[in-house]
Amino acid sequence: MIASKHILGTFDESLAALRNNVLMMSGLTERSLERAIKGLFDRNDDLCATTIADDEEIDQLEKQIDKDGVDILLRFQPVASDLRRVVSAMKLSSNLERIADQATTIARRARKLNRHPPLPEVELIRPMYEHAMSMFKDSMDAFVREDVKLGCEVVGRDEKLDDLNQVASHKLVERMAQDPDQLRGYLNLIFVGRCLERVGDHATNIAEDAVYAANAEDIRHQSLATAT
Amino acid sequence: MEDLIMETPEQTVIERLERGAAPPPDAEVPPARTFEVKNISIWYGEKLAIDNVTLDVASNAVTAIIGPSGCGKSTFLRALNRMHELTPRTRMEGKVLLHGEDLYSSTVDPAIVRRRVGMVFQKSNPFPTMTIGENVVIGLRLNGVRNQKFLNERLEKSLRMAALWDEVKDDLHKPGTSLSGGQQQRLCIARALAVEPEVILMDEPCSALDPIATAKIEELIYELKTKYTIVTVTHNMQQAGRISDYTAFFYLGRLIEFGPTTKIFTNPSEKQTEDYITGRFG
Repeated sequence: MIASKHILGTFDESLAALRNNVLMMSGLTERSLERAIKGLFDRNDDLCATTIADDEEIDQLEKQIDKDGVDILLRFQPVASDLRRVVSAMKLSSNLERIADQATTIARRARKLNRHPPLPEVELIRPMYEHAMSMFKDSMDAFVREDVKLGCEVVGRDEKLDDLNQVASHKLVERMAQDPDQLRGYLNLIFVGRCLERVGDHATNIAEDAVYAANAEDIRHQSLATAT
Repeated sequence: MEDLIMETPEQTVIERLERGAAPPPDAEVPPARTFEVKNISIWYGEKLAIDNVTLDVASNAVTAIIGPSGCGKSTFLRALNRMHELTPRTRMEGKVLLHGEDLYSSTVDPAIVRRRVGMVFQKSNPFPTMTIGENVVIGLRLNGVRNQKFLNERLEKSLRMAALWDEVKDDLHKPGTSLSGGQQQRLCIARALAVEPEVILMDEPCSALDPIATAKIEELIYELKTKYTIVTVTHNMQQAGRISDYTAFFYLGRLIEFGPTTKIFTNPSEKQTEDYITGRFG
């Protein structure tokens, strides 16, 4: 949300290019996460393979965003909201890359699961995925629209995802004891759950960066700060 | 009013230490104030140059004044030592207090004010007919100091504080104009320091200097603020960010925003400030 034109047209162009790359990276990351989960639920190895292959492009975008961000800092020495936008974009790209890594890990676990008979317990993953994906989408919305309220709201939703993961893990551990033949399968599902829990953590980071970009408020680690 | 140059240097330093250094700008305790500027307006003839500005200048800190050309920042700076009065048809309303004392009181001698509040200009201006040494102590000589031992001590001390001693100690007899631009500017700073002012005003002190000379002056400003209150005008936003603790943004003679530099340059409260510092002005 750039209010008015900069005196230097090249600055506006550079900032717009940085922002577009972040949005493209976000789109690709979202698609990878969707494909990985679809690969898991539909037992589709092709989708899993595509997810794994696409990770390279996302990694390259992360490098490009870092390079563009450093170039902007070097050439224009931005301040105030411009500085916050550049710093946030660079931090965002790092979180997006890690979300894409989680998608890749899910895809790899899904391929392993697909080699064995289906496990009905895979349905334990669905609410976690829906929650993590909504956190991720909303965190990106908060960044794009510079929506402080939405950003703060996303941060508050991470706890529920942690709880969902705990419940699912507990049930899967119980199933391991009851059905040791499927131990590897349950273990893979536990790892998928952990990946989604990590996606929620990265979405939280993105939401926190979105709030910082919008109004310069650092809302990270607030419970710790108030406790001390 | 006390004549500061008659004090021993030790007394002056102790007095300044007792006044206390400014806490970090984001601290909740309000910093000690050197200047209290209250509702000043300045006219050049019919033209209003400063429009009802109120601002406190923190002690032992660097305050940067930024704003586009013609916004009144140099006029404001000059009002802090009554230098603007040298311009014909100037009129002023409001008060400027230096440590609580009204600088514009009818009993105050402007020459004494300018001794307490020294100034360094955009273009270095050593006296062309004087040696390096003479340039530094001219202020003391003009005020009647004749003790050569005292003058020599003050000469070395001022040049050391201006980070110039090591470069010129063997050339004190050479003309001031024989120095490089950056060295000349530091010579002018040494000249300002020699009369032991309480405040140093700087009007774009680095605008005519190369990056190396600029870096030396900036480093000097950083060191000097432990002993002096510094107010500087700059067009260089990055420089304001680097050297100042507080920043004031002026526009069309009005003070638009004033606060800790980190706040102004990361999250200014006023849109005009944001537009100016991010290069979206006009």
